[in-house]
Amino acid sequence: MAYKGDKNCTAIWEAFKVVLDKDPCSVFPSDYDHFISLSRHSIPRDKSLFWENNHLLVTSYAENARRFMPLCDVLYGRIGDFLSWCRQENASGLDYQSCPTSEDCENNPVDSYWKMASMQYSRDSTGVIHVMLNGSEPKGAYPVKGFFADFEIPYLQKDKITRIEIWVMHEIGRPKVESCGEGSVKILEERLEKMGFQYRCINDHLPVKLLMCVDHSTHPDCALNSAVTSTRREAPPLCAEHGASLFIPFLVVLASVIQL
Amino acid sequence: MADHRFRPVSGEKPCCDISKKAQICLCVVFGLLVVVIIAVVVGIVMWRQPPQHREWKGAGTTAHFYEIILGRCYTYTQIVRPELGHKDCQKIGKAFTNAFLSKDPCSSTEQDYQPLMELTNQTVPCDKTLLWSKTNELVHEYAWVQREFFTLENTLLGYMADGLRWCGDPGSPEMNYQSCPDRRTDCSNNSVSVFWNTVSKRFAEDACGVVHVLLNGSVHNSFDERSTFARVEVFNLHPEKVHTLQAWVMQDIRNISSDSCSDASIKNLKLILSKRNITFTCENNYRPIRFLQCVKYPEHSSCRSKI
Repeated sequence: MAYKGDKNCTAIWEAFKVVLDKDPCSVFPSDYDHFISLSRHSIPRDKSLFWENNHLLVTSYAENARRFMPLCDVLYGRIGDFLSWCRQENASGLDYQSCPTSEDCENNPVDSYWKMASMQYSRDSTGVIHVMLNGSEPKGAYPVKGFFADFEIPYLQKDKITRIEIWVMHEIGRPKVESCGEGSVKILEERLEKMGFQYRCINDHLPVKLLMCVDHSTHPDCALNSAVTSTRREAPPLCAEHGASLFIPFLVVLASVIQL
Repeated sequence: MADHRFRPVSGEKPCCDISKKAQICLCVVFGLLVVVIIAVVVGIVMWRQPPQHREWKGAGTTAHFYEIILGRCYTYTQIVRPELGHKDCQKIGKAFTNAFLSKDPCSSTEQDYQPLMELTNQTVPCDKTLLWSKTNELVHEYAWVQREFFTLENTLLGYMADGLRWCGDPGSPEMNYQSCPDRRTDCSNNSVSVFWNTVSKRFAEDACGVVHVLLNGSVHNSFDERSTFARVEVFNLHPEKVHTLQAWVMQDIRNISSDSCSDASIKNLKLILSKRNITFTCENNYRPIRFLQCVKYPEHSSCRSKI
């Protein structure tokens, strides 16, 4: 991140600070407009990494922006990462005891921050878009109501994106609740297709799987021969609209054959 | 025809009316005034100019050094290891800068850093100390994934100072942002080197149980006698507390050669440790860390067919 030397941290702090004077249930994403405009910077092409329910894995895999640049490695994501903040309800000064969550009120400082940051991150993402989902999450790998669904997908710039790659990761030794083409992942795939995006879905993307194995090196799932196999599901090319009913199964079979 | 001679009006040529002595006086006073004005201007210019620092061959103090160490101190004590939330980061920041400000950056001593050391005391659990040599990237990737291990850079003080440079100057209360001594070409007892020697020594002294070290099996001298690991850490392990040093020697995945644990330099390490009554064990390409290397080269053969 050394190349962000033109940013004025004092000005960025001043822009952020205004939120700390507001009623903690009346902070809107737009209250962070000025903050975002000062801290915004470009994201390298093909390096965007979206995620749900695997914060630490994503941070490890991204390798401090060397491999990928998830939101937490962008300046306006790094600033707020792991922090919470709010003014006291009926007084000035910060509340160090508790802050409202989305269950208390929608327009709380932290949620509004991440909504704003997510929208900006999406807008500035280009090239191949990557999404890492947790296929062992009992509530489903793709939260239909969540930051990715509501504040990232809608703001993706279709004309700047080549395709979307979904990785459904399963935790070592935990059940495979969902995989590509199943449950909420299927909902996501259908949504992306409807929006006109080229996408593909990979179960247990190998490099990430290898990273998970660092912690479970003796587990049978980490005997590498089995870690290598992955199944892929691909969206048909847009031009194959007619005859799609024959073309899609053909592609799937072809893809599986290539994998063996 | 006017044959009068007009007398010159007295106001037109005043100096002619003043005596020579007064003229000289005036000139002298005027001259002195000019000198005084020049002196005052020069004085102001010089006072406003920052005092000149000595020029060294190494890179200068990191920009915003103080804000960075302060911020890192708070990040570490409030978020990374909240059990250290009682630490006073303002005091720690001041103790850090006091260690080198207004001092000769080539005469740094352990004593300079003592107040800082006292404020940042930290217990690392037994069997969790992770030393390293020539494996900077890999060891820290591993410690990030396996959070129970502590490299020096995962302790408060190491975390604060990692990647930074700093030095002062005896003639000035400011940090020298232009240059700082280079260890080899200027002096070895510079502020930064002495800091790392001091904290490495304490880190080793505080270690207990099994201590691990991550070494690089793909370089010439895996155990390098000039390294901080060799010079400082090995010699400050306490045999009463540390019974074993276990080495993990990792080879570059693209270039796996013979058994690194049988290398001459590793045998040398074993000898040094046995003289100090510490058991030495060695493992080639420790499997969990091999997985980490595979993340970069997932298609490599040793990442595919390995049981």
